[in-house]
Order: sequence, then structure tokens, then C-alpha cells
Amino acid sequence: MSLEPTFQLPEQMSTSAANIDDLYYFIYWLSVVLFVGIIGAMIWFAWTYRARAGHKASPTPHNMVLEVAWTLAPLPILALLFHWGFQGYMDLSVAPANAEEIRVRAFQWGWDFEYKNGESDSSLHIPVGRPIKLVMSSNDVLHAFFVPGLRTKRDLVPGMYSSVWFQATKEGETDLFCAEYCGGKSKDQNGNELDPSQFKGHWAMLSKVHIESNDKYEAYLEGLGGNKPPEERGKALYEKKQCIGCHTVDGNKGVAPTWKGLWGRDETMADGTKVKVDENYIRESILEPNAKIVQGYASPSVMPTYKGTLKDKDIDAIIAYMKTLKE
Amino acid sequence: MAAVDIEHGGHGGHDDAHGDPTAPYYKAKTGWKSWAYTLDHKRIAWLYLTAVALAFLAGGIFALLLRLELFSRGKTIVDAETYNRFFTLHGAIMVFLFIIPSVPGSFGNFFLPIMIGAKDVAFPRLNMLSFYVYVLGAIFALTSIVVGAVDTGWTFYTPYSVQTSTAVISMTFGVFVLGFSSILTGLNFLVTIHTMRAPGMTWGRLPLFVWGMYATAIMQVLATPVLAITLLLLIFERFFGAGIFDPKLGGDPVLFQHFFWFYSHPAVYIMIVPGMAIVSELISTFTRRQIFGKFAIAMSSVGLAILGFLVWGHHMFTAGMSEFSTMLFAALTMLVAIPSGVKVLNWTATMYKGEIRLVTPMLYSMGFIFLFSIGGLTGLFCGTLSVDIHIHDTYFVVAHFHYVMMGGTVMGFLGGLFYWWPKMTGKLYEEGLAKVSFALVFVGFNVTFLSQFIMGSRGMPRRYYDYLPQFEPLHKASTIGSWILASGLFLTAYILLKALISGKKAPPNPWGSAALEWQTATPVPLSNFAETPIVTRDPYDYHLASPEELYDGFPEDREKAAAKPKKAEEKAEKKAEKHEDKDDDE
Repeated sequence: MSLEPTFQLPEQMSTSAANIDDLYYFIYWLSVVLFVGIIGAMIWFAWTYRARAGHKASPTPHNMVLEVAWTLAPLPILALLFHWGFQGYMDLSVAPANAEEIRVRAFQWGWDFEYKNGESDSSLHIPVGRPIKLVMSSNDVLHAFFVPGLRTKRDLVPGMYSSVWFQATKEGETDLFCAEYCGGKSKDQNGNELDPSQFKGHWAMLSKVHIESNDKYEAYLEGLGGNKPPEERGKALYEKKQCIGCHTVDGNKGVAPTWKGLWGRDETMADGTKVKVDENYIRESILEPNAKIVQGYASPSVMPTYKGTLKDKDIDAIIAYMKTLKE
Repeated sequence: MAAVDIEHGGHGGHDDAHGDPTAPYYKAKTGWKSWAYTLDHKRIAWLYLTAVALAFLAGGIFALLLRLELFSRGKTIVDAETYNRFFTLHGAIMVFLFIIPSVPGSFGNFFLPIMIGAKDVAFPRLNMLSFYVYVLGAIFALTSIVVGAVDTGWTFYTPYSVQTSTAVISMTFGVFVLGFSSILTGLNFLVTIHTMRAPGMTWGRLPLFVWGMYATAIMQVLATPVLAITLLLLIFERFFGAGIFDPKLGGDPVLFQHFFWFYSHPAVYIMIVPGMAIVSELISTFTRRQIFGKFAIAMSSVGLAILGFLVWGHHMFTAGMSEFSTMLFAALTMLVAIPSGVKVLNWTATMYKGEIRLVTPMLYSMGFIFLFSIGGLTGLFCGTLSVDIHIHDTYFVVAHFHYVMMGGTVMGFLGGLFYWWPKMTGKLYEEGLAKVSFALVFVGFNVTFLSQFIMGSRGMPRRYYDYLPQFEPLHKASTIGSWILASGLFLTAYILLKALISGKKAPPNPWGSAALEWQTATPVPLSNFAETPIVTRDPYDYHLASPEELYDGFPEDREKAAAKPKKAEEKAEKKAEKHEDKDDDE
């Protein structure tokens, strides 16, 4: 079977794909044969035995042999399908011991891939020809990691870890989807419709899998975060961790307060109290978004907690970046 | 079949409330109270039919709206939050307000007692209660639309359904109440079938429609309470933070899926078995012979009912069950192919050497076999583990279950409407136009959903407000298909309503069927039969049926027809034409 996309299936990019596609097409042709047989017979009978002058129905006979035969005949085929499918499933489930682990955290609405060096990104980079195991969890509701090119899918369930593994067979780029419905947002806190480009939700948890040569992959890891100054790291985190989805940096009011001029300002909270925006306020807002809600914004907050997603070093970097966003 | 009388007349316990037992059921009493307070199973069937038809219209409008939104990329007509509500309401209305009560509530209520030669169901008051419980549930469910609708999907998966700010409680409470309606109908049917069969109506002679209703009733009674418990727990979770499903409180979101599918998988068979039950009736009548392997078809309905309880886990192959459970559920799921295959093969075998009349109800049964075969065979892809991992939660699955639910149950339901309309209304529909409507429905359906199979296997996930450019042509095709399908359905409604209002008068047995429900007068008298029938043969034994039983014209013409035997074989409509003047009496 070719690696190229067929009419029904996308390009094969993992070691498991060929087996799954062979089974898919086996069932497909089996179905075509059965379907043409049954429907062909039905149409043929409908024409041959159509009601007309001089034609009468003959009484229905009993044919135990035939009935038992077509009750039992599917069993071996079903057993074969089950066996073949279960084998493929076990292959998808059991990762080789030497697989490299990447941590995946999903949230409404984005992905966070954390690599072995502790750095993370919103798209997935993997080396070609090496087994990769994803250890996945969700920060809020159900999500599912789905990469058609790799023929793999697995739910991310809050409160538990799940995992998938795969070994990519060719370099390139392929789409990554969320396949378990996780809600959506197209209105601001006052119920006004946002611009369609601002809509967030299940369908918009799109990302990419970048399958790269070993050297390119290692270089990518090197370049992630690394030794950049904190404010640059903070700016990168602002984009990668989806802060950009709600907080603007140009002073425009979005779903959440803009970061422009935020640092050092006195914010009025929903309960009327004033709070000075300092390190502790920012840290609390990132880890516990519901602790304090700024007046005029949705309560409870639509922001997910970044507890477990952002490390102290990351929060420091974001604070450093905020300090640069003066009025 | 109904020749001898032992109990004369039809004076059951509740007849006094309804009037003359020999009068047509819709004339025995008049006024709105005669409908609102009715205990007659035939009138309750009409109440149900009206209600489920309205639900089908509402669910269908949501379907058209969401297909329209998906016609092009980006925002087409509504914003994302509205789209999420649309697909949730489409699913919830179609499943809980339409498909589950559709066939048992309408045809089950109308024909089950007649088919077994009874005067009514066992508990007429319970029957009325079940309808009003349905209305109450429907009010709760539809109230949710006014107070913000629901955006969880019809499956209400936690923890999203615990966190969303939409009206989950109103909708789930509505579904909880609807469950009681379903249980009451099921109980009523079980007792009716066990205790009220006419003399000679042995289990072996039981019509396949009744067998289907029997299997359905078992599932309704046993599975629905689990849904009720699950939804109550969900309501508790939202109200009190009970911590059963929400991981933040120590709960397990996958537990909800187990509970939910423990009901909702049997519910799939609660939806499809009645459709199959109708098709068995139609195929016998329009091939004019006994169903091949009748016993096997009856048992396959019961087999599906039992298997339905053992395969819920196949909705959760990607959800994080243990490999061992996954293996068990996958193996059991494969077995579903056996009873499904038996039905399709036996129906097809019945057509061999039959005398096939290709009228609209028969076209719908053939449409059922065509579409259900696709639905069933694509089930093999979904049940085969490694392939399912790829197509799970994609449009492939969406297409698969629409081929089963809509291609199966709805085709059966529409076929049943055309088939039984003359008996229910006493009027004939226009055959030519009906064939056009069938063609539109059949073609529209395939255009809508075949394209979804391909989108799905290429990787288009379900419940997406927007999609990548490579899926746009197929989405466009699917949306255009939905318009063809809708035009066919609106035409169907027009044909049937026109027949009801101004159709030609129908003879008692326009199809020349040997089945018992065609042996009583049209319109059906309040007591169903003038005399309790004594059953002496199987409902499909055409070679044992007398020529009068198979006569498809008006009884008063029988003598004339007997003089010229060839005329008796002509279509019923031609006979009806001569009797147009009789309509004026109505």
C-alpha cells in the first residue's frame, strides 16, 4: 500500500498506519462484495418477481440449512476482523521501552507539549524514525489527541493520565486535532458577539505535528526557550501558552484585561476593592484565575489555571515581559 | 382468519367513556376533550404521532441550520456558541423526543392491540399517562431552549456538562421525565402482549411487528432506569457538587460515560428494532408471502435486545478503558453483525419467488435494506479496534449512525406511514407523488451522508464549527444533500396531509394483505373488531388466507369482483375512483 493519501485515507506517516489501512481496505472490499451481493439480489428479485398478470407468489419454504449457514458463516470473518483489529490496537497501546516521552497538556482551547529539556511549545515536534510516547493529561474538560496522518487518537481525561505512542516514518508536517467536544466561546462577558477571528473552541484546537530529522529536532529543542533573556522568553510564552487569545498587548479590550500598562496599575475588582498589580497579584491570577476578578469581566473567569503548566521560571519571564508593556 | 365469534360485541370496561364501540374510533365521540382525555389506544397513537412529527420537524430544522452553517468555512450564519447549541438540540430532540417514542408511540399504540386481536392495551389509563408524561418531559426539554439552550452535545459528557453555563439541568430533567414515558409504554406493551392475545394468536403466530415491539419494550423497561439514575446524578453534581463525575471533586468523568452508554447503547436498539419490525410487515405484504425464517427474524430482535446490553463500551474505545475491557467489548460488538445480517438476508430471501408490488411502502423497505446494509457494514469499521481508533469521533461515525438511525428507523417509519395511512385515516394517498418523495428522500439522504463517510475517514472530527480547507467540497455536497432530503420530507408531509383532508376513500384492505390489522373495517371501529377474532393461521400465511381476506376492494364490490376475477387484481386506487362520491359523506 502506498504512503500517499488515497481517496478515503490520508497520507501514512507512522509505522502503524500501513497495517491499519490494509485492514480498512480489507473491510471496505469485503463490504463492497457483500453489499453488491445483497442489494444486487434484492433489485434482481424485485424486477424478476414483480407483480404482473399470470405471476403468483409461491409459498415460502423452510430451509433450515440455509438459515443456519448464513447465521454461522459470518463468525469466522468476524473473528478474523476482531483478531486483526485487536492486534493493531495492542500495537498502538504498548509503547517500546526506549520511547522518548513528551508531556502533553490540553486545555480550553489549546495544547502544551513539554519536551525532555523542560521547555514547551504549542505545536508538536517529533524526530523521524524514533519511537515517541506522549503522556497526556487535561487541565479542564475532556479533549482528544487526534493525528489522522499518524492514525492515532486518545482522549485526555482530567484527573488521569493517558498515553499514545508512535514512530513517524517520514519528515513533514501534518494536522493535529482535538476530537472530543470541549465547548466553545464566541461572545464576550457581556454577551456581545466577538469578531469571528476571535472565536475559540473545540474546532479551533488545531495544531501541527512537525516531523523532523534528528538533527533538526535536536536543534529545535536547543532553540526552545534556552538562554534567551526573561522578557523574550515571556513574550514567547505569551504566544505559545495562548495568553494571546484573550489578553491584548496593544491596549484594546479583549475577553480579558489588556497587558498594556497593566504593570503597577491599581485595578478595581468585582467587589469594589482596589488591588495594585504586582508580582504576587500576577502570580495568583495565573495560578488561580478565580481568586480576584477585575470589575467588568466574567465571573467565574473563563481563564484556565496554569498550575502545573507554567513553572516559576516561566511566571517570572511573563512578569518580565509585562513590565516592558508600558502605556 | 377472523371468521368465528365467541365473544360478541366489543364492550370493554372503558367503552362507556368513548361511546358506541362499533362507530369509527374518531367519530365515537367528538370535541377536543374526546382527544385530550382519550383512553383509546388509536387516539393516543394520533396524539403521539402528532407530537413526534412536530419533534421531527424541530430536530430537522436544527439539522438544516447546522448543515447551512457548515456550507462554507468560517462564519456562515451563526456564531460558534449558537452552532454548539444547534447540534446539541438536533441530537437531543431527534433521539429523546423523536426516534425513541416514534414507532412505539404511534404505530405501536395503534396497531399492536389490533394485530393481536385485542380491544385496547392492557392499561389504557397508563397509556394516556405515558403520553402526558412525554408532553411534560418535552416541555422541560424545550424550555431549556428559551433559557439559554444546551451546548454539551446530546451525550452530556462530564466534566463539560458540569461546568458549562447553559441550561443543562432543564434539558436533562426533561430527558429524565421522558424516560418514564418510555418505561410506561414498554410495560404496557409487555403486559398486553402476554395477556391480551386473541384466541389462536399463539407466540408462533405473533406478527413480527409485535415481536419487535416486545424486544423494544424489554429494553425500555430494563435500560431506561439507568439513564434516569445517571441524569439525576448529573443534576446532583451541578446543584450540590456531589463529586461523582467531576475530577476536581474526586469524581471520575469516564464513569459518566459508562453509565450513559449503559442506557444509550440499548437505546440504539430501542430506535432501530421498531424500524426493522415495520419492514418485516411491509415485506410480507408486498411480496404476498410468509417471511422467510420468520422465527429467526423474531429471535434476532430479541438477540439484538440482549446483545444491546453488552456492548456499551464500544463508544469508549479511545476514552481510556483497560485493554482487557476494550478487548471484551470489541469481541461482543462483532456479534451484533449476526442478528443484523440474519434480518437483512431473510428479508432479501423473502423477495425470491414473491409477487412484488413496488408501491411506496415497499420502496421504503427496499430503501431500508439498502441504507441499513451500508449502516451495518460500516459498523464493521467502527467495531474493528485499530480502525476505530482512526475513525472514532469523526464524521465517519456520524455518517454510520445516521445510516442506521435515519436510513434505518426513519425509512421504516416513513414506509409505515404510507403503508398504514389508509387504515389509520380511511384515506388513500397519491401513489405517483409519493414515489417522487421517496426518490428525493433516498437520493438526498445518500448525498448528505456518503460524503460524510469520506470526510471522516480523511480525518474530519465531529462537532466542529469550522474546518480545514480540504474538507470544504465534501461539506458543500453534504449540505446540498440535506436540502434534497428536506424537500422529500416536506413533500411527504404534503402528500399525507392532502390524503387526510381530501384523499379518496380507502377500502379496508387496499394492499390485499393477509395480516390481521387489515381484516377489520376501515375506519377502525372503536372496539377494533366487531367480534373478537379467532386466529387460525399465521398473519403472513397467504396460501391459507381466503380470497375475501385478501380482497383489496370495497366489501360491497366483492360479488361483482368475484364474477370477473381479473378485476380483483387491479390496484386499489382504481376501485376507489368509482367510490369518489362516498367521500362526500365524510
